[in-house]
Amino acid sequence: MIDVQQLTKRYAAKTAVDDISFEVHPREILGFLGPNGAGKSTTLRILTGYLAATSGRVTVNGRDVFKEPGAVKRATGYMPETVPLYPEMRVEEYLSYRAALKKVPRARRRKAVDSTLERCRIGDVRRSIIGQLSKGYRQRVGLADSLVADPEILVLDEPTIGLDPNQIRQTRELIRELGCERTVILSSHILPEVEAVCSRVLIINKGRLVGQGRPDELRAAMTSREATIELEVRDPAGVAAATFKAVQGVRQLTDPTALGDNVFSLTLKADPDPGVRERLFDATVANGMKLRGLAARSFTLEDVFVQITTSEAPAEEPAAPEATGGAA
Amino acid sequence: MNLFAQLRREIFAFFVSPIAYVLLAAAMILNGVVFVLIVQFLSDPRAPHGAAMQMMFGGTIFFWIVVMVLTPIITMRSVAEEKHSGTLETLLTAPINEAQVVIAKYLAAVCFYVVMWLPTVTYALFLSRFSSLEVGPILSGYLGTLGVGMMFLALGLLCSALTRNQIVAALLSFASIMVLFTVGIFELVGQGQQGGSVLAYMNLWSHMEDFGRGIVDTRHLVYYGSITLFSLFCTVQVLEARRWRG
Repeated sequence: MIDVQQLTKRYAAKTAVDDISFEVHPREILGFLGPNGAGKSTTLRILTGYLAATSGRVTVNGRDVFKEPGAVKRATGYMPETVPLYPEMRVEEYLSYRAALKKVPRARRRKAVDSTLERCRIGDVRRSIIGQLSKGYRQRVGLADSLVADPEILVLDEPTIGLDPNQIRQTRELIRELGCERTVILSSHILPEVEAVCSRVLIINKGRLVGQGRPDELRAAMTSREATIELEVRDPAGVAAATFKAVQGVRQLTDPTALGDNVFSLTLKADPDPGVRERLFDATVANGMKLRGLAARSFTLEDVFVQITTSEAPAEEPAAPEATGGAA
Repeated sequence: MNLFAQLRREIFAFFVSPIAYVLLAAAMILNGVVFVLIVQFLSDPRAPHGAAMQMMFGGTIFFWIVVMVLTPIITMRSVAEEKHSGTLETLLTAPINEAQVVIAKYLAAVCFYVVMWLPTVTYALFLSRFSSLEVGPILSGYLGTLGVGMMFLALGLLCSALTRNQIVAALLSFASIMVLFTVGIFELVGQGQQGGSVLAYMNLWSHMEDFGRGIVDTRHLVYYGSITLFSLFCTVQVLEARRWRG
């Protein structure tokens, strides 16, 4: 549906987007994830035809955004990050104006405005002046604006920024609902959001595409490399660290944190092999410790994100794989 | 038609802003005072023979103060405000192109300018009750006022597109209008010298004297039209260039 080929955007001093290529399929919710200043907004602005790319090509339904901006703009509803609105207009007036601007026929305009007001839950402020609305309401007016002409494609730049937790939850629900019937592209630097809403994620850092996939795929890619195991043991003899280091498959061990009463919690990095946990249990029992908890922590997208976006620095500490034969 | 939708929005934007009413009031007060002074001056038996409305258009410096000071204020927020608040982004990602946006904004400014001059029609009606009035020169006077105003508004719109600060836009357009006005005045300084006819072609003051007398010289209108179209063209180019600068 949307095809982005080798997109590059250079400003005078810096390269904001550096050779990015990806595709967006119909009816998927694609998340753009990246730290602030990674080039998310710039990419979205090029997709919507607001900015021209330095090089590369963007086509929407086979039409080039640069050559046929009109066709692409008609198919797209866009909410910029700052949610710019005209403060002097009433909500209803604004949406009606935007609908007219987006070529919604006069006969259908009223209905389009009414249903959008309802959908975005801003019917109660329809007669209010936009400048007097709270941030949460303004955000929803912006969302309503992007929806009012019923576009096939919805581009939302940081749609939940500045909302309270309840509003964030409602907005996510709405986006998920919208994703069932149209294509949604959203950007965010908030990981749980992307994980909760998106069917596919692109991770951008410093203008480059550094990873992409379904949230669970990205997580799987991480866990297959290394497992993190959390342990809590009662260890009167103080042998925990030495014992666990000796277990086969354990790569690294953080210093035990004393929880009092001879109870310690430890975090282990180990091979992605479920057998490691069994051997840890055996080692605990064999060395006179009592096991209180043993859990393999699953990776969140946050770990993936941190790992990928900081990978330029040598992130991996030299692990000491002191593998000896089983439990002593 | 979305150009029409945009035009409606622009006119709406004018009339909900307090600036509009300050401008309208200022224009009414200035023009009213000038009209009273002119009528007083002409009713003196020693005064030279003349028509009040003719003096109104271009006969005094006050006409130029009204036009030159107030037009930059009409156009200053037009594009600059949208740039400042970021609404230019939502505007230009809607299915409307830069040229349509510029046309809508320009027409709205012209509408406002016309509204600003409307109260002066009552002066003519008022005069017609007490004396016989020649309609021709009055109409040509308004034509000249409209022509000069349209030229200044187009320049002002261009200046507004060049910056995101309304004050800068107003000052910039006032400065360029001053240049345009002063260049023509130099005709009087460098009379008979080379280039004098070029300066005469650009002398807005004498243009308005002609219009006030009832002379509709198409050369003047062509001059205004050229500058207007050129300014509007540049405004569209400035807006389109934004796509590359970011």
